[in-house]
Amino acid sequence: MPTFSLRKVGKRYGDGPAAVHALREVDLEVAEGELLILLGPSGSGKSTLLNILGGLDRGTSGDITFRMTSLTAMPDRELTLYRRRHVGFIFQFYNLIPSLTARENVELVNEIAQDPMPAAEALDLVGLGDRLDHFPAQLSGGEQQRVAVARAIAKRPAVLLCDEPTGALDVNTGIRVLEALVEVSTRFRSTTLMVTHNADVARLGDRVVRFLDGGIRQIEVNARRAAPADLVW
Amino acid sequence: MRTLDRKLFRDLWRMRINAIAVAMVLGCGLSIFVMAVGMRASLERTRIQYYSSERMADLAVSLVRAPEQVAVELAAAPGISAMEARIVGYALLDLPGIVEPASARLVSLPRKGRPTVNDLVLSRGRWPDPGLVDEVLVNEAFADALGLSMGSSLEATLHGRRQSLKIVGIANSPEFVFVSAPGELFPQPDRFAVVWMGREALARAYDLEGAFNEAIFRLTAGADPGQAKRFVDAIVQRSGSTGAYGRDRMPSDRFLVEELRQLATMAAFLPAFFLIIAAFLVNVALARIIATERSNIGLLKAFGYSDTAVAWHYAKNALLLGAIGAALGSGAGVWLGQLMASVYRDYYHFPRLDFDAPVWVFAAAWTAAFGSVGVGALAAVLNAARIAPASALAPPKPVAFSGTNGLAGALGRRLDAKSRIILRRIVRFPRRSATTVIGVALAIGLLVVARTFPAVMDRLLDVHFSQTNRQDVTLSFIDAREEAVLHTIESLPGVIYAEPVRIDNVILHHGSHNVEEALIGSWPSARLSRLMGASGDIVAPPAAGVALARALAAKLGVNAGDTIEIEQTRGSRLQMTVRVAAIIDPMVGSSAYMDMDAQARLMREPGQISGANVRLDPAAYAAFNRELKRTPALVGASFLNLAESAMRRSYAEGVGYMNLIYLSFAAIMAGGVAFSAARVTLAEQERDLATLRVLGFTRLEVSYVLVGELAALALFAVPAGCIIGTLLANWLMQLFETDMYSFPYVFNPQGYAFAIAFTLVCVAVAALVVRSSVDRLDMVGVLKARD
Repeated sequence: MPTFSLRKVGKRYGDGPAAVHALREVDLEVAEGELLILLGPSGSGKSTLLNILGGLDRGTSGDITFRMTSLTAMPDRELTLYRRRHVGFIFQFYNLIPSLTARENVELVNEIAQDPMPAAEALDLVGLGDRLDHFPAQLSGGEQQRVAVARAIAKRPAVLLCDEPTGALDVNTGIRVLEALVEVSTRFRSTTLMVTHNADVARLGDRVVRFLDGGIRQIEVNARRAAPADLVW
Repeated sequence: MRTLDRKLFRDLWRMRINAIAVAMVLGCGLSIFVMAVGMRASLERTRIQYYSSERMADLAVSLVRAPEQVAVELAAAPGISAMEARIVGYALLDLPGIVEPASARLVSLPRKGRPTVNDLVLSRGRWPDPGLVDEVLVNEAFADALGLSMGSSLEATLHGRRQSLKIVGIANSPEFVFVSAPGELFPQPDRFAVVWMGREALARAYDLEGAFNEAIFRLTAGADPGQAKRFVDAIVQRSGSTGAYGRDRMPSDRFLVEELRQLATMAAFLPAFFLIIAAFLVNVALARIIATERSNIGLLKAFGYSDTAVAWHYAKNALLLGAIGAALGSGAGVWLGQLMASVYRDYYHFPRLDFDAPVWVFAAAWTAAFGSVGVGALAAVLNAARIAPASALAPPKPVAFSGTNGLAGALGRRLDAKSRIILRRIVRFPRRSATTVIGVALAIGLLVVARTFPAVMDRLLDVHFSQTNRQDVTLSFIDAREEAVLHTIESLPGVIYAEPVRIDNVILHHGSHNVEEALIGSWPSARLSRLMGASGDIVAPPAAGVALARALAAKLGVNAGDTIEIEQTRGSRLQMTVRVAAIIDPMVGSSAYMDMDAQARLMREPGQISGANVRLDPAAYAAFNRELKRTPALVGASFLNLAESAMRRSYAEGVGYMNLIYLSFAAIMAGGVAFSAARVTLAEQERDLATLRVLGFTRLEVSYVLVGELAALALFAVPAGCIIGTLLANWLMQLFETDMYSFPYVFNPQGYAFAIAFTLVCVAVAALVVRSSVDRLDMVGVLKARD
């Protein structure tokens, strides 16, 4: 059973001649446990797709199912529950709550999750076992992003959605974050979709979906997934 | 308009809720200032002009009887520029269609021409013909209250003789700007008249042909009033003088001065609270604008704008708010002032009383507004000036919360993560949290004060009209009578029971202090009029010596155990030494009290009384009054039911009105602080709240983080507000204490409950309005936004 099935999914802003098509008739299936890289220039539709899959936005046409349940007609309340139960998010700018420590940022999500792993364990997985009680302001960018990874995976989500997770980081830090991400997504068999500009990062995925002008231009299958340490950018 | 200035307006528009809050709070404070100071200035100017144009007396002396020759001597005394010798008295009035007799102060007019002192302003009609004994002028308030016009007639009992008087004119006098019957708490314009009539008619009625019983004086410019008084006293010493006195003992002026003092009090303290809160609100709003504009500030400086130019740009933001608040306050102040002037016109009878605040009042208001926003803006503006362009352009670091790990940390660990966010933010931003707590607490405090005042008034009315005085009518005799007269009174129709009254007007001396006051005889077994303390306890008159009201004791500078001199103001002007047996706290009046029999003996009039308290059968009310109007020996009849309703009515119209305004202002303060705090919390947390939504938190859960902070601060503010309100109410009640009333603080649980509930509702409304933004949080945008 695929995690996501997309049938002619479109997203249009505005009407008539002024309408902007952010996404055009996208068909896609994403298998459970797959690491899918969404690649493409700015405005090509990859982030829009990620947002729709995460239940943050809705398509204007087509249909999306998550484990055979349609997300298309799901009311707001259920979309919130969908995010709460199944989706882990990792953002380019970390989006940690500055008034909570690393441990508490993870606990924040654990409080509303079903059967999460202890926050300390999640932070240990991303190599931050010794930084549990630090506030975001006391952590480096890479460390903050790893807290975000821990926060996302602590509830053992079915889906991990990562929007430019290394976009604000330098190479070495970025690689450490990706290592953490790949490791935990593999361990929990989370279906992972990662948006990136970076063509080299694409080598991490099982498949690479190239976007252009709101549509899928090409889908490539990597014969072998590269390890984060092998990446260069 | 310069581009930067356009930005200024857009910044303000973005923070419009905060801007409106600042402008409204400033507006409230300044409108009270403009109203109170403007009204004070208008009242003072009108008083000075009126006193000067109508030659208000500087000095007066009451006499038993002085021959005309004395007048000649008085007029020639050094320091006197004008003198009027006249005859004054009291009379009962029988008004057609009115059940109860009214009373009147009678004042003679000169035989020829207009009074040279205390002249009248004729508002309608003409001056009486000196040759006609029945032609009179009446004061405008009385004529208006009863709808009297030229040609109306009054039946008066003058010194026991009934006489018909014809109104030929309606007038005002600087001597009677405030008109109240002696012994009455409050003006009852329909129950007390000032009647000016020909000297001969009054002389005949009072057996004062070729004589007079009062002299009033204008002093020459620069004359020493003390010296003039000594000259006058020397001349009249054989005419039964009670001693010359200045304006401080003229009842009308005394009330006016007291009113001016209260206005000054109001102007001094109330606006200050609003200005302080406005400063806090500016501080919070501007700090927020500058925080969100950090990178723009870096950019402006990178383009070459100087630190000063950037600082000035943000300072203008605050000054603009100050200007809007000042304009609002000035406009509202004038409106409130006009409203107040219309209330004042019912109490103070000037030929004309307009609210006309001088320019300096507005200048002061604007200066105060700019001062308040300037102080509020200072820290934020300096911060904008100090920001280094390079660091401002770099991505901001997350706000450091590491300092919040102390007590809050320990406490926080017991809470869930959402509550921890709330707690840490409160501790991390103490100044802003304090602003919200103080603002909400002050609003609660103001409401407590606004609700305490009616409770105090209720207590005062209850103590005075229901507990202290349980008679229906108090009758005042022309002269002291034997106590046996009570039997005659008890035989009047409808009288169930009568008790004696003994009141002597005396001058109390202690060291260099001299105070004229009523010495009230108290009767231990009295059932009708009892002496009562502020706490509602019956105070027994001292068996020996005199008890003094606390205010009177303070004026004389005496304590219990000291001795004072008491001087009679009539007859043989006996002077006696008496021991102060006790200091008491009556709510109404600041008199001296003695055992009634002891007082009569002291005054060398044993067994004599000056009036009677009467309990009536309501069924015989009309019959009793008909009889009363025919009783020659009375100069006054005070009806408690009428006095109480007059006081309640005038309270509802005057003070009640002001109370409503304070209530609205307190609501604006509570709403302004709450909206401002909620808006800033939202602006600061928008990204975090959106992140929470993305992470799967429901709207309700996210709203809790936003509203919880405000709710927690509001709850902190509740006890603080109750304490502030109690202290303020106590302090204000003391400030508003007069010779006539003392206002003990009354704990009014409903008032506190109302203040708390009302303020919390304001906060809740603000929180809910701002909370609706949670429904519109941009979850997609937050993924891309840097902060």
